[in-house]
Amino acid sequence: MTALTAEIPAPRRIASVMRIHVANPWPTAILPWLVLFGVHGITWSIWALITHYAGDSLEPDAFRYAGGVSWLVIYMMVIAIQAMNAGFRFAMGFSATRRDYYAGTVAFFAAMAVVYALGLGVLAMVERATDGWGLDGSFYAPAYLYDEPYAVIAFHYLALYLLFTAMGALIGALFVRWRAAGLYLYFAGLALAVVAFVWWALDAGDSLVAFFRDNPIEVVMAWTLPLSAALAALGWLVIRRAPTRA
Amino acid sequence: MTAIIEATDLSRRFGAVRAVDGVTFAVEEGSITGLLGRNGAGKTTLMNLITGQDFASSGTVRVDGENPVENARVLTRTCFIKESQSYPDAYRGRHVLAMAPHFFPRYDAALAAQLVEDFDVPVNRMVKKMSRGQRSALGAIVGIASRAELTLLDEPYAGLDAVARHVFYDRLLQDYAEHPRTIVLSTHLIDEAADLLDHVLVIHQGRLLIDAATEDLRGTAATLVGRAADVEAFVAGREVLGRESIAGIASATVAGLDAQDRARAASSGLEVAPVSLQQLIVHRTGAPVHEEVAS
Repeated sequence: MTALTAEIPAPRRIASVMRIHVANPWPTAILPWLVLFGVHGITWSIWALITHYAGDSLEPDAFRYAGGVSWLVIYMMVIAIQAMNAGFRFAMGFSATRRDYYAGTVAFFAAMAVVYALGLGVLAMVERATDGWGLDGSFYAPAYLYDEPYAVIAFHYLALYLLFTAMGALIGALFVRWRAAGLYLYFAGLALAVVAFVWWALDAGDSLVAFFRDNPIEVVMAWTLPLSAALAALGWLVIRRAPTRA
Repeated sequence: MTAIIEATDLSRRFGAVRAVDGVTFAVEEGSITGLLGRNGAGKTTLMNLITGQDFASSGTVRVDGENPVENARVLTRTCFIKESQSYPDAYRGRHVLAMAPHFFPRYDAALAAQLVEDFDVPVNRMVKKMSRGQRSALGAIVGIASRAELTLLDEPYAGLDAVARHVFYDRLLQDYAEHPRTIVLSTHLIDEAADLLDHVLVIHQGRLLIDAATEDLRGTAATLVGRAADVEAFVAGREVLGRESIAGIASATVAGLDAQDRARAASSGLEVAPVSLQQLIVHRTGAPVHEEVAS
């Protein structure tokens, strides 16, 4: 038996897996922006109505707090879960290894996080340049992002996306490996983690508040990176022994 | 000839169920092997083990001498098309075909385009909205056009009509002739596929029941046709695999006929016909001897 080499080199195998997720770019790369702009349009209309009727009595930071962007992270987590489930079985059916599949999929999530972070950052800058879309509104850089520079806003979204897609990757991996039982495991683990966190937070009390108060947003967000990496690593441990089922 | 697949005492258990139970066999490089058996016999599980999609509970399987699990050297040479293949929600037929060349290095897009026409697959339709037959055809197209060194097809034409199945056999054989490869085909439609198969593996309740060249297997039995009384007289005391009778004419499938027996049958006015592979396998996998009487 002659020694074999893979007929497709590893970097191309991983790139091929990334392609799986954008073969139809609609749900991952097009639809989110359309919905985002739709929500933005509606929010702007409401701002305009309020401004019209409130007149001079409007508080200066009335439109500082909008949640119009936050749904995107949840949407991306759902995309991540779907990508892990259907994408995994499809890729296995197309002779991918689990290793290549997971590497390509996580690379795809990271690439999407970069694209969305840069894009939302640019939109936040446009928002600032247009004096909050002419109405002093904060849609892309609400609340604590209001005064931050581009790099901080983009990094904040990047870290947030990585965290949620890593969570999605883990949930998807648990589902692929153990089906419903995997999801029970996840939510039981999550509940325990929340209880443990609250316990610890009550104990830590002031020092926790001080952490959020005294540290700039980029430092707080940087602390999510090791957590995201840990979740992604956990996802690999789960999926590396996952069989493909019908 | 060398073996491309070698399984040794291979088992896969799911709890108490022995889906594949101590199976040992080899598949010759360049052959077309039929993996036959009833529903739930373990065919799909066995193919999952061969392609590293599932993990053996015990025993080993080797493809090109290597363990297929997480092995890109083996898997980039392998194409496994199964009826239950799932596709991402947002995929249309053309997305599936667009992905194939990235995973199968020998994929021939022109051949695939020709097959799309032959099978009349609506490639712009969402895969989840396709009929079972259309999804099967999509899989069959990828399976044939990928020209993988080792091609495994699990019930590749479930839901396909007779015309489409004929197209499938025809195109598969045609492309196999031009680009030889090893094909393992699991199917229920034994007689339909029989002419394709060089070798037959019959799996029953997880165990390997028959591992034989198709020719040899056919030679182990024959069907005798003649006047009912003559047939009965001849088969008395022999192992009868199946009987049919219409009016005064009877046919019986009998095991273990040698050349002398055949000559004697012919001289007593019986016609000796080749046996149906399906009938042979149905009998061997434990079904009661089927007797059709129409008078």
